[in-house]
Amino acid sequence: MKPPVVRQHGPAAMLPVASPATVRSYLRLLARRHRSGFAAVIGLHAVATVAGLVGPWVLGSLVQELSTGTTEGRILAGIGWYLLALLVQSAFIGWSRLRGSVLGEEVLADLREDFLVRSVALPPGVLERAGTGDLVSRGTTDIDRLAKSVREAVPELAVALVSVALVLGALLLTSPLLAVTAVIGMPLLLATSRWYFRRAPQSYRSESAGYAAVNTVLAETVDAGRTVEALRLGEERIRLTDRRIGEWLAWERYTLWLRTVWFPSVDATYALAVLATLTLGGVYAVHGWIGIGQLTAGVLYAQALTNPVDLILRWYDELQVGQASLARLVGVREVADPETDEHVQPAGHQVSAAEVRFGYREGADVLHGISLEVAPGSRVALVGPSGAGKSTLGRLLAGIYAPGRGSVTLGGAPLARMPAERIRAEVALVNQEHHVFVGTLRDNLRLARAEADDVELHAALAAVDAQGWVAALPEGLDTEVGSGGTGLTPPQAQQLALARLVLADPHTLVLDEATSLLDPRAARHLERSLSRVLEGRTVIAIAHRLHTAHDADVIAVVEQGRISEYGSHPELVAAGGPYAALWRSWRDEG
Amino acid sequence: MPLKSLPMPDPGVPDLSSPLAFLRWMQRSQRRGQLLATCWGVLELACQAALPLALGLGIQAAVAGDTAAIWRAGALALLLAALQSLGGVQLHRQAVWNWITAASQLRQLLARQASRLGAGLSRRIATGELVAVSNSDVERIGWYVELTARVRAAVVVWLGLSAVVLSRRPLLGLAVLLGVPVLAASVWPLLAPLERRYGKQRAFAGRATELAADTVAGLRVLRGIGGEELFLERYRAASQQVRGAAVRTARIWSLMQAQQVLLPGLFVVATTWYGAELVVRGRIGVGELVAVYGAMAFLASPLRILGEAAHAWSVARVSAERATQVLALTRTAGEQTLAAALTRPERADLHDPVTGLTARAGRITAVVCGDPDVAGHLAGRLGGHLPLAEDERPEPSVRLGGTPLDELPLGEARAAVLVHDKEPVLLSGTLAELFEVPASGRVTTAQALTAVRADDVLDALVDGSPECGGDPMRARITERGRSLSGGQRQRLALARSLVADPAVLVLDEPTSAVDAHTESRIAAGLRELRDGRTTVLFATSPLLLDRADTVLLVHQGRVAATGSHRELLRSCPQYRAVVTRDTEPALPEQTAPEAVPAAGPAAAQTHSEEKV
Repeated sequence: MKPPVVRQHGPAAMLPVASPATVRSYLRLLARRHRSGFAAVIGLHAVATVAGLVGPWVLGSLVQELSTGTTEGRILAGIGWYLLALLVQSAFIGWSRLRGSVLGEEVLADLREDFLVRSVALPPGVLERAGTGDLVSRGTTDIDRLAKSVREAVPELAVALVSVALVLGALLLTSPLLAVTAVIGMPLLLATSRWYFRRAPQSYRSESAGYAAVNTVLAETVDAGRTVEALRLGEERIRLTDRRIGEWLAWERYTLWLRTVWFPSVDATYALAVLATLTLGGVYAVHGWIGIGQLTAGVLYAQALTNPVDLILRWYDELQVGQASLARLVGVREVADPETDEHVQPAGHQVSAAEVRFGYREGADVLHGISLEVAPGSRVALVGPSGAGKSTLGRLLAGIYAPGRGSVTLGGAPLARMPAERIRAEVALVNQEHHVFVGTLRDNLRLARAEADDVELHAALAAVDAQGWVAALPEGLDTEVGSGGTGLTPPQAQQLALARLVLADPHTLVLDEATSLLDPRAARHLERSLSRVLEGRTVIAIAHRLHTAHDADVIAVVEQGRISEYGSHPELVAAGGPYAALWRSWRDEG
Repeated sequence: MPLKSLPMPDPGVPDLSSPLAFLRWMQRSQRRGQLLATCWGVLELACQAALPLALGLGIQAAVAGDTAAIWRAGALALLLAALQSLGGVQLHRQAVWNWITAASQLRQLLARQASRLGAGLSRRIATGELVAVSNSDVERIGWYVELTARVRAAVVVWLGLSAVVLSRRPLLGLAVLLGVPVLAASVWPLLAPLERRYGKQRAFAGRATELAADTVAGLRVLRGIGGEELFLERYRAASQQVRGAAVRTARIWSLMQAQQVLLPGLFVVATTWYGAELVVRGRIGVGELVAVYGAMAFLASPLRILGEAAHAWSVARVSAERATQVLALTRTAGEQTLAAALTRPERADLHDPVTGLTARAGRITAVVCGDPDVAGHLAGRLGGHLPLAEDERPEPSVRLGGTPLDELPLGEARAAVLVHDKEPVLLSGTLAELFEVPASGRVTTAQALTAVRADDVLDALVDGSPECGGDPMRARITERGRSLSGGQRQRLALARSLVADPAVLVLDEPTSAVDAHTESRIAAGLRELRDGRTTVLFATSPLLLDRADTVLLVHQGRVAATGSHRELLRSCPQYRAVVTRDTEPALPEQTAPEAVPAAGPAAAQTHSEEKV
């Protein structure tokens, strides 16, 4: 049976996935941090396993003695040992499992905290390019998958490996001859398992991706309920879901077939081990090479191998899934930090771009030699059609991207050489994204200035005209907002973002269509808040609405990566170029 | 393979009278699969139970020095092992198939339910609920449905083994008969606290995941403004809370692990002791002792299944309850039969008795409304069949050529009037798939894309999906079009509505995020493609309003003024106030103390070489 065709699930991740070497060095780091815990778990489990091996040994000796004649006392002593061993085994199993969990949870907490520590230090340019979607899925799905591995696969595998080693040891002690006999089926197991594990991990990943794909379609249908109904897409969505179910089932079928081949071969190996020890061992016993007691214990040990070997096989591919997730989590460590210098200090507030060229890909420049001087306190509007490079230029002026050629400077110092933490005290980019964080309103404001007290927070809210609705909230600044909390309207969220700016107090703002996603009628109200924030700051506004441009000191019309018109509003209108034509149709003066 | 028959052509009509009835219904719809799984399960467990007998015979033979008997015992063990393996594999296949059948059937039901509810869904339940059912509840319900067959097999084999042992050694038989339920029940006292602690751990874990997702999703804000340490500290606290809760769960769990070794172990020790006494008294041979030991050890298998069943039942009940709730929802409170019919909707005027709004057939009517919420609600009403919450009463219906839209069947009303709301969702898929909507066929995708000036969107899509090989129609749009900017998304959504080309198209602020340059070009394209069709356009941009045949001003719930854009600008101050922004400039006059000395133009200079 051939595996189903792999379907492409959207564009590839833009953040790196760690190389095996990085994963290994990270694992070594974790191992060093938790060395004693790991040793304790292995030690405790070894005791439990050895105690568990006493049972078959007792039975073996009983059989030996019973077949040669024995006394009540000997039986009682044997049973006593058995009972004692059982108590020790139970206690140590409980103990080792507990220690294992404690260790596992520490490792997991390390993994997820390390991930977030690295994530919040990623360069802004990388976030801007790669988006946060992939990072969110690493921080949720991959952490969950890894949790399963660390909580179940790693301890089960560790425990199983210890058990196999100890049982084989016990078998060797009982009789080396029997030990060799018991592992007679090993080559078969190795061959079929190799075949299986070559195909299995990828197939299970595809299978679970297929399972999730069904959900994605359903979630979209639900999410887009209005659109689906308006465009009468209901039937199409049902067909699509059924098709995704079909694709998922194709993988289920394929993995089921893999198991149908593999399981019987594994069973055969186990059976072979027991049968070989029983029959060949029986023959050895008849010939007097081993005793009946050794035979009994050997058969039972051979059987006892089944369980841990089964565990190893079962958890092996879960471990591989975990490994893939770990590589994605550790991958963020491979993002290179830009070379910045703590000592680069701006002298003044002048923002300058000189001969700036920039492209997202090699050989495909978006900006073709732009020069622009923005005097402190002035207002510059960037207008032009979509895709002309306005937003890209804005991001360069805000220090998020470094120019390919040419330079962008703030007070004479190159922005690209300043650390993000320095830049943001000077320049802030205000974009369409108005994320409301899960937490209290206070947390949402204090991120801009951690030491701000309530008086300052209220002042900032008043500055953006938001004190009214904040005062109306039942718990004021302590109200939980963000997903799951009190829902804020988009204009309120935007005001919150503006209040953060008031607190952060940068002298230069780059506005990227800050209000464009809002309903224009709501935007008007918001613009009042915005204009309060802009007072006394240098403003570079990427403008959609012409009245924004009208009020600016200077308008730069950007077309195809170049500045095509430049001047004040009256100048441009007088010049009679494309801007003037647009303005006339806007204001109905033509 | 039986799997070929899935997904089912029709998942059927479920019994939703109670969660239990629903689970039973699911089992009934796979009766044959259940029966087969039970049979294979019995075969596997029975062979497993009988294997110690062969071992006992072999050891007995070795004691007696009878080589032929050893080989005979070996052959028996081989046969049993082979049958057990056969039963095991077939049980596994059948059980997985049963699970898949239940899971895919339920997911098909959910997909149909989601399509049926459409816009009404969000008014009835939190949308996440349906997705949660499809994600985790499906697994649990499938697990329960599949497990019942294995439980039946375990009970059959346990009773069978008890009967066999009872007939030979009554005391041992009684122990088997009673021991299994007692041992199975022994985990119950720990089960409830385990579930409780695990529930708490899951809640903490959910909170931590939410915080991580939220922090990362807002990372651009954090990196742009600050506050990383604040959020890291918060996450660390949540993460440590998860760790603490997980360790508390592990305490009970490790206790259970110890108990699961100890209690069955005690049972085996006791029976071994009893068996050894019997051997001493010469009642049985050593071989039989080994067989007894093995049979008692075997009981762990049915015990495990029974323990699993207790757990499955406790979670499946909750899941089935959620599933029945979701599946029982209806779009509106009472769904009546709708009998009205439309003739020639493209020739009919659209009239709203509530506001007095009338849109003439074949014309572009622009509507200006000061309050965005009122505008959004009105736009929704114009399509008829507005979904209502439980306590809402319907308003008088909008009429299309005299026919109340609310009295038309939903599909027909939607076909006649397409309401393009403020936030249309781009469904993920290729660009070509995006335009696969029920359409008149009059407008091609290429025409629509030209009308909305989508060249830069196509370039962005090609850039973003390397696998499309330069063909924008094969480029992928990610979920909700997140990789595109707001203006780009709006333009694609508008193009999609233009391709659908309904008799009446209601557009609510379709270009609010599009720049002025592009918007003025789109206004021209819209005019061209909607020529001769009825269009209602909610807008405030003069660039769009100037292109409409008629402009209506809606004020305080009624149409307050009618005319062309220029007429209204001149004659209606209220209109002027909404459309132009003379009263409230976006950028304030210079008030900054460090304002540049000279007037605006001198404040900034350019050295752009390409300056026109």
